[in-house]
Amino acid sequence: MRSYIIKRIIYSVIIAWGIMTITFILLRLGPTSPVDRYILNIAARGQDVESVRQSIEARYGLDKPIIEQYFIYMGNLLQGKWGWSFSTSQTVYDLIASHWIYSFQLILLATIFAIIFGVGLGMLAAVKQNTRIDYAASVFSFIGISIPGFWLGLMLIMVFAVYLGWFKTYYDTGYSIWSLENLKQLIMPVLALGIGELAGYLRYTRSAMLDNLRKDFVTTARAKGLPEKTVIGKHVLRNAVLPLVTIIMFDLGSIVFGGAYLTEIVFGIPGLGQVSFNAIFADDYAVVIAVTLIGTFLVLFINLATDLIYTYLDPRIRYD
Amino acid sequence: MTDIKQVCCGRPAVDKRLLHYYWERLSKNRMSIAGLGFIVFLSLVGIFGPIFIPDPQKTDFEIKNMPPIGFSIDESVYDIKTGEFTTTVILGRPDHPLGTDSKGRDMLAMLISGARISLLVGLLATGIAIFLGTFIGVLSAYSGGWVDNALMRFTDIMMTFPFFLLLVMIVFIFGPSLAIIVLVIGLTGWTGAARLIRSETLSIRTRDFITASRALGASDARIMFNHLIPNVSSLVIVMATLSIPGVIMAEAALSFIGLGDPMSTSWGTVLNTGQHSLDTAWWVAVEPGIALFFTVLSFNFFGDGLRDAFDPKASI
Repeated sequence: MRSYIIKRIIYSVIIAWGIMTITFILLRLGPTSPVDRYILNIAARGQDVESVRQSIEARYGLDKPIIEQYFIYMGNLLQGKWGWSFSTSQTVYDLIASHWIYSFQLILLATIFAIIFGVGLGMLAAVKQNTRIDYAASVFSFIGISIPGFWLGLMLIMVFAVYLGWFKTYYDTGYSIWSLENLKQLIMPVLALGIGELAGYLRYTRSAMLDNLRKDFVTTARAKGLPEKTVIGKHVLRNAVLPLVTIIMFDLGSIVFGGAYLTEIVFGIPGLGQVSFNAIFADDYAVVIAVTLIGTFLVLFINLATDLIYTYLDPRIRYD
Repeated sequence: MTDIKQVCCGRPAVDKRLLHYYWERLSKNRMSIAGLGFIVFLSLVGIFGPIFIPDPQKTDFEIKNMPPIGFSIDESVYDIKTGEFTTTVILGRPDHPLGTDSKGRDMLAMLISGARISLLVGLLATGIAIFLGTFIGVLSAYSGGWVDNALMRFTDIMMTFPFFLLLVMIVFIFGPSLAIIVLVIGLTGWTGAARLIRSETLSIRTRDFITASRALGASDARIMFNHLIPNVSSLVIVMATLSIPGVIMAEAALSFIGLGDPMSTSWGTVLNTGQHSLDTAWWVAVEPGIALFFTVLSFNFFGDGLRDAFDPKASI
């Protein structure tokens, strides 16, 4: 078991290195350079562009060959130095430290919302198979899967913020993260981000419950005279939601830089998605690589955690 | 000898009876047929529509923010001489049935142009991704050894890459054009298909008919293209259908955040415009979203129906 974990960790580091390298090459070989934004300002003031460019490039080590820059960057990264953000004039570490919480709260709340309602409605639909509730749940899940999250976000803003005025049209960072106002203004983003996942979990839970309801152990449990509540809640549900762990973990990885990214942009939430989006446009490669790496490590960690959770949830699974 | 060759190694002819059987199974699923119907309708609109409509990018500020037919909005104009507001009711006009946006561009024309872009990007990018995925999956499973190892580790890296961040990065660096968007989505979206097809191929290659054709002296390429790929084709078709919606949404999302091709009008671009006029012209944000939603829904319904039709275990 321990050697399995060590192997997986080494393997994760190699993948992260590959991703770091690809990102570095893509960003530094592009036609634009982080110096451009300085140059623009300076050219506007009529100073000598070429000498200023050279001095800035020398200051940040951008005049060295790209290979050397790559090794310097990697060396710094290994020492825990994430570099300097050109566009926001602070260290990348500070930038991320002050913004990660906005992404985290959004993703956490959306995932909890999706799991609770997805599994709950899926259970209900399975137990009431072929009734109106079941049909309604199935229509709802198809709508949820097909609706683009960022458009749903726009529609929510339009109806509930612009026309009804129940919410603000933008995310207000003035509130403390732990305040009730902050929770209230997260309702729309969480809905926009969570509906798609919710619909997926609903569909999955329903079909898995129906599969398990037909199995022999359920008949046995019923024959023993167990109340229906225990049969469904203990025997069927537990077996049905086990594979859901993989799906939830996989979704977590994909919403970190898919859905959450767009949701942050639509609602103006200053999370890591928004930060990396601005950084790409400003050629701030240190920030982009840092955010990409954080996302990568998160996904790799989630994958490892999923595998380990399984050995606990299902004792039949062993990694040797 | 020739008989055996024809039986075992000829290119499998398209079996009409089998096609008929699949169609029977598919047509029992009404939602799936409705989805197919909408896809056909959208394709016709995408192919022929742009011939009949005016230039979707033509602006006319005289007729900006016109509501769709059957709707009306109140517009307040501040008169600088009298210092008073005069309110006029603006009604939808039949020459702009779906209204106009804040620059006076016709919504119907933009939606029709968007249908073409969405389908074009969806089909081309999915085509590239599925082709690559099938090729890499089959090659990986069939070769085994270090080729398999190298290809799968590369797949792992691509899979772990924050997908949308990569899209934004590449499109920003190489400039937003339709060709770049199609290429990028196609070249990054093959990983899921590659893995699935690899595992399917691994199970097929141990079957007796592969051993038999190898015993008859078939080359690796022949086994791969004539036996392995046709046998995973139903899986490939289902995967392709179900991955089109994701591609269409990715394209719309890219255009929505301002990285769409400026020379063409896609639903995402219109949504971007609509985002800024939610309070004055709601239809600009609503209409392309509905088009996007029904397109994605149709592909999902159709793909689901296909999967059940191809699955011998599914009861229909």
